[in-house]
Amino acid sequence: MPKTITLNHITKIEGHAKLEIGVERGGITKCQLSAVEGSRYFEGLVRGRKFFEAHEITSRICGICSCAHVIAAISAVEDALNYKPSEQTLQLRKLLTLGERIRSHATHLYFLALPDYLGYESALAMASKYRPQLQNALNLMKTGNLAIKIIGGRDLHPVSATVGGWLKLPKKSDLLIIGKQLESAKADAIKTCKLFFSLKYPEFQSRTECFSLIDKNSYAVLEGEFSSEKISFRKSQYKEFINEYHEPRSTANFVVKSDHRYMVGALSRLNNSHRKLSKNAKKMLKLSKIRLPSKNPYLNNVAQAIEIVHCIDEAIRICENLNIRSEAVEKPKLKAGNGVGAIEVPRGTLWHDYTINDNGVITNANIITPTAQNLLNIQEDIRDFVPSVASKRKEKIVLEVEKLIRSYDPCFSCSAHFLEVKWS
Amino acid sequence: MLTEKYSLPLENKKMPKPKLKLGFYGITGCAGCLLSVIFNEDEILDLIQLVDLKAFPFIKEVNPDEQFDYVFMEGLVADKGDLEELEKLRQNTRYIVSLGACACTGCVPAYRQFTLKENYEHLLYRKQKEVEDIQPTPIDAHVKVDYYIPGCPPDKREIVTFIKNIAIGKEPKPYENPVCVECRKNGNQCLLDLGKPCLGPITAGGCNSVCINGNFECWGCRGPTKDMNLPLMIKILKEKGFDDKFIQDRMRTFAGLKLPMLEQFFNVKVNVKC
Repeated sequence: MPKTITLNHITKIEGHAKLEIGVERGGITKCQLSAVEGSRYFEGLVRGRKFFEAHEITSRICGICSCAHVIAAISAVEDALNYKPSEQTLQLRKLLTLGERIRSHATHLYFLALPDYLGYESALAMASKYRPQLQNALNLMKTGNLAIKIIGGRDLHPVSATVGGWLKLPKKSDLLIIGKQLESAKADAIKTCKLFFSLKYPEFQSRTECFSLIDKNSYAVLEGEFSSEKISFRKSQYKEFINEYHEPRSTANFVVKSDHRYMVGALSRLNNSHRKLSKNAKKMLKLSKIRLPSKNPYLNNVAQAIEIVHCIDEAIRICENLNIRSEAVEKPKLKAGNGVGAIEVPRGTLWHDYTINDNGVITNANIITPTAQNLLNIQEDIRDFVPSVASKRKEKIVLEVEKLIRSYDPCFSCSAHFLEVKWS
Repeated sequence: MLTEKYSLPLENKKMPKPKLKLGFYGITGCAGCLLSVIFNEDEILDLIQLVDLKAFPFIKEVNPDEQFDYVFMEGLVADKGDLEELEKLRQNTRYIVSLGACACTGCVPAYRQFTLKENYEHLLYRKQKEVEDIQPTPIDAHVKVDYYIPGCPPDKREIVTFIKNIAIGKEPKPYENPVCVECRKNGNQCLLDLGKPCLGPITAGGCNSVCINGNFECWGCRGPTKDMNLPLMIKILKEKGFDDKFIQDRMRTFAGLKLPMLEQFFNVKVNVKC
């Protein structure tokens, strides 16, 4: 293995990050993953603003999961005001979140992850040989975006979701349009599964604990307790278990649970809730031949593909069953308090936490993104993984490390653009 | 002679024009503007055939450092790394296009300049020199910008139109009417009339009034129009019962740095302690 390699600009991730690895006599002496994107201090920006403004501001944390931040922020604010939204509101929020997961997974799988496995520099470079596959991806992205646009008013940074309900409700005919588009995407989702099942993933087990929200009745999206196979706790208790710490070299926080690293995301959800997948998704899981629970982070790609099938089925179910009633936006009664919102979003569990005063002004905010929770796990996985490929050529090592990082679908915008790898 | 027959005079020779060299880059931001390029799902694969897409690090591994005709920049300058990247690209590029609100106005992250330090100082921590903060600023605070595609996010159709235009050598034209023009065409009920703090009258349109179509008031993400009547806008909002702090906060959330004149209308200190 080369001792000193400096690689700049590792690409195809959301955000800028940096990785430094040092090796001496086959052993790893240094492995540091840090976000180096400029800090934006969103938690400070919402202080002093009104409770109904939080979601519009924090949506700007991330483009690809803007719906996630909108819904998490609204949920936290409503929790603080002790307000329970209507069932219709919850179903529409769920639909918005499912639409986002479909487009986000499709974008990640085809545009960020796949080129590594097929030996291309980008999805665009694959266009001449793999045009049908890219059309599958684009149709899935279009499907998710259409659902978000109709329900949320816009596909990025949606506008119609608000505290207390929906500023504009879709009509039943709108839901049927989404349903029809979702039906058309079913075949794309199955092809995506088969494509990603056919790829060769390295054998590797992360020494981690897989966390996600677990709901008694369904594959969790908006509800549930934060759980692994060993432990479970309520959203409101999160501060007792989860701590954040800073590193001077990074602009993102590291997050640990009781001082230990953990993993969130599609693979964690699959491990924890696969029995609640839709029938079609269960069929795909069987076809994938992966054994659950699995702690091989590379299989997060497979988990995302299976989740697309599930999300389509679940979204179709909502579109068919939901009869839209006219409901005006409710104004929750003002009261001082603290509220926590935790929802399952494309990259894992997203936490928003606000404290509101008597006048409805936000006095404190805390936001923990999925990537911040995964950051330490990714870094430690790299440390554990590199020795197994240390005898290979430099290019091969770098490629496998990049694949490992990308399999987590990290969003350094959420927590930091460019991954700069420095070897020393 | 045969050779004469096949050699046309120079000026008639139709040499195919080389395609424009394009780059799409992001500095501190949310990747939403770059996604707005890709999310033109029906056209993206054909659109890129019109140009020579040299660099797009968000989705490309190979991004050669070279001379570009156009570079689309997402994001704002928030640290030293951003500024270095931006300055390097400016040197290598004929036309810089500010893509989206962060690049055009500084967007939400630049709102920090209008909030009290005590609101965010608990988030500051010791950083290494290479990740040191810079005051959050749009890119035209640092380099010359040739074109602006505003909005948070930018309208994805507008990006397609822009690229198609430059590919055939047509000068892209900015949309200069306020949001209200498209909003009226769309038949929306005026949200100001309903008592909501809509900034449509002073905000540049071109977004097809997308927020108001969804019953959400305009927050001004595309920045102020050149001929806005700011005093009237403030007067209307005050009449509707919004206080000074609220009005200033709203106007400064997406485009505060493009509204320096706001200070002359308000006596209160911005963001007094809550």
